[in-house]
Amino acid sequence: MRKVLTIARREFSSCFHSWLGVLVASLFFLAAGIFFVILVLNYSKISMNPEQYGLSNFSGINQTHYIFGSFFSNLSIMLLFLVPILTMRSFAEEKRQETLELLFTYPLSDLEIVAGKQLGILLFFGALLLPLAGYLAVFHGIGGEFDWGPVGLGFLGFWLLGAAYSAAGVFISSLTKNPIVSAFGTFSVLLVFWIFDWVDEVVTGPWGHIFSELSPLAHYKNFALGILDVQDVVYFGFFFFYFLFLTLRSTETRNWKS
Amino acid sequence: MDKTHSGALIQFQSVSKNYGSFHALRDVSFDVKEGEIVGFLGPNGAGKTTAMRILSGFFPPSSGRVFVCGTDMSKHPHKAKRAIGYLPETVSLYPDMKVIEYLKFVAKLKGVPAHELDGHVRSKMSFCGLLENGHRLIGRLSKGYRQRVGLAQALMGDPQVLVLDEPTTGLDPTQIKEIRELIRALGQNRAVILSTHILPEVSMLCSRVMMINQGEILASGTVPELASCLKDREAIHIKIKDKKDQHRALGILGSMPGVESLEVAEEVRGETFITFETSPDEDLRPRIMKKFLEQGISLTEIQRLQLSLEDIFLGLLKNGKVGRRFP
Repeated sequence: MRKVLTIARREFSSCFHSWLGVLVASLFFLAAGIFFVILVLNYSKISMNPEQYGLSNFSGINQTHYIFGSFFSNLSIMLLFLVPILTMRSFAEEKRQETLELLFTYPLSDLEIVAGKQLGILLFFGALLLPLAGYLAVFHGIGGEFDWGPVGLGFLGFWLLGAAYSAAGVFISSLTKNPIVSAFGTFSVLLVFWIFDWVDEVVTGPWGHIFSELSPLAHYKNFALGILDVQDVVYFGFFFFYFLFLTLRSTETRNWKS
Repeated sequence: MDKTHSGALIQFQSVSKNYGSFHALRDVSFDVKEGEIVGFLGPNGAGKTTAMRILSGFFPPSSGRVFVCGTDMSKHPHKAKRAIGYLPETVSLYPDMKVIEYLKFVAKLKGVPAHELDGHVRSKMSFCGLLENGHRLIGRLSKGYRQRVGLAQALMGDPQVLVLDEPTTGLDPTQIKEIRELIRALGQNRAVILSTHILPEVSMLCSRVMMINQGEILASGTVPELASCLKDREAIHIKIKDKKDQHRALGILGSMPGVESLEVAEEVRGETFITFETSPDEDLRPRIMKKFLEQGISLTEIQRLQLSLEDIFLGLLKNGKVGRRFP
């Protein structure tokens, strides 16, 4: 475990050693802030004069639901761009710099290496979420009222979604030597998963149902609505460990390549 | 340590490695004992790096077994890898880390206990002359210093076996000398395997040489041992000034008893280099000079060459034929 943590720590701090990591973190913070402010302003505008917006009964609109529901679904779109950048370096960069060779000669199992790298990314992703709590504090400070439960679940769901996506990203990174290829590959894969979410609008019947069950976004939406369903947690767990397993297999390919 | 393995720190038992249909190593077996520095010698693509990667546990062999300090690499990879320090061919380190940060990272991965960490890292740094550079970024170090960091990471955890893949490539002469001294000091109570294509380096550093070509060990032994296999030959090399005389010179040399493998080695700006082999019992040089003088061939150089490691090596590559050396 100490070795996993050692690798995770290196992975985590290397995110801050490059301008890219800092830039991505700031952009994410900024974009999330813009979304949040727009949503808060919209909400306050609607609440002043609901009739004007075709809402006869304002009491049906819930602050938490309106602001955080939309906020988390906006964030999930941002993940499509964020995750490929977060994960593109994990294996691809080490292969390019050939630092991976040494890592494989240390007394470590492949699992420890893969787990360490994955954990490092999860920690960095978690660290990206922390500043968002600042927005909540500001919102609370200016008199906003919201249910902590759904908001907390929203964050949990978002972190789980990011974890699942990043497992896919790390796997794709382990397939190539080129971080850019890894980023585009990850983006494409995430895009396909994103499309799964719409399939049931086009295809009806069992196929549509299967695709929407496979879609990470469909499972994420429940969290954003404040619903905690064991199915969703199991889904993300399965998604995450499936890709972790693929990454592990992929690191073994060094045995039959020169 | 396993007593049954008679003190050999490294054992290769008929190890082969295939990449598809390509045989990178074929049935290679050897032992290395404590205190030995063994040099792997061979042209590029001979299988040196493959052998070293197998030994370092980077990948397993296709068949055969590897023992490190008596531990079977395939059965207990953790234990075996702990006994190995590996310096890869291209020393690639994380450029965004500081030297000390990186070495601590490696020490932790190699299982150095937390309370010994600082002292351990410091002692390796001072051994490799890195104490003053601990807080510099690896990416900003010169090639020589990066090589030292590479060596320091190999030494983390005090491994009994050191595997160094071309440790002096790309360094300047002073740095080469320093690294060689470090290696020599390290070899005293360890087993060291190093690969190189700088031949003098092998005779300087290594107690034993293994010549590898196309995945097979061609020869193994000390430098004098290998030389003695080929002692019955020596090479003479002659330089004549005028190209027009080349034919006559070859005629004279060809008619002399004991001259073999006569050939024109090189022609540079009208000058011709001719080489041939003789037995070392009789010195042909006075006779050659006399004959050339009589025929009016202007001889500018005549040299008798002791066989060097290079000649042995080239000779072995040409299926045991004695090699020749060109100026």
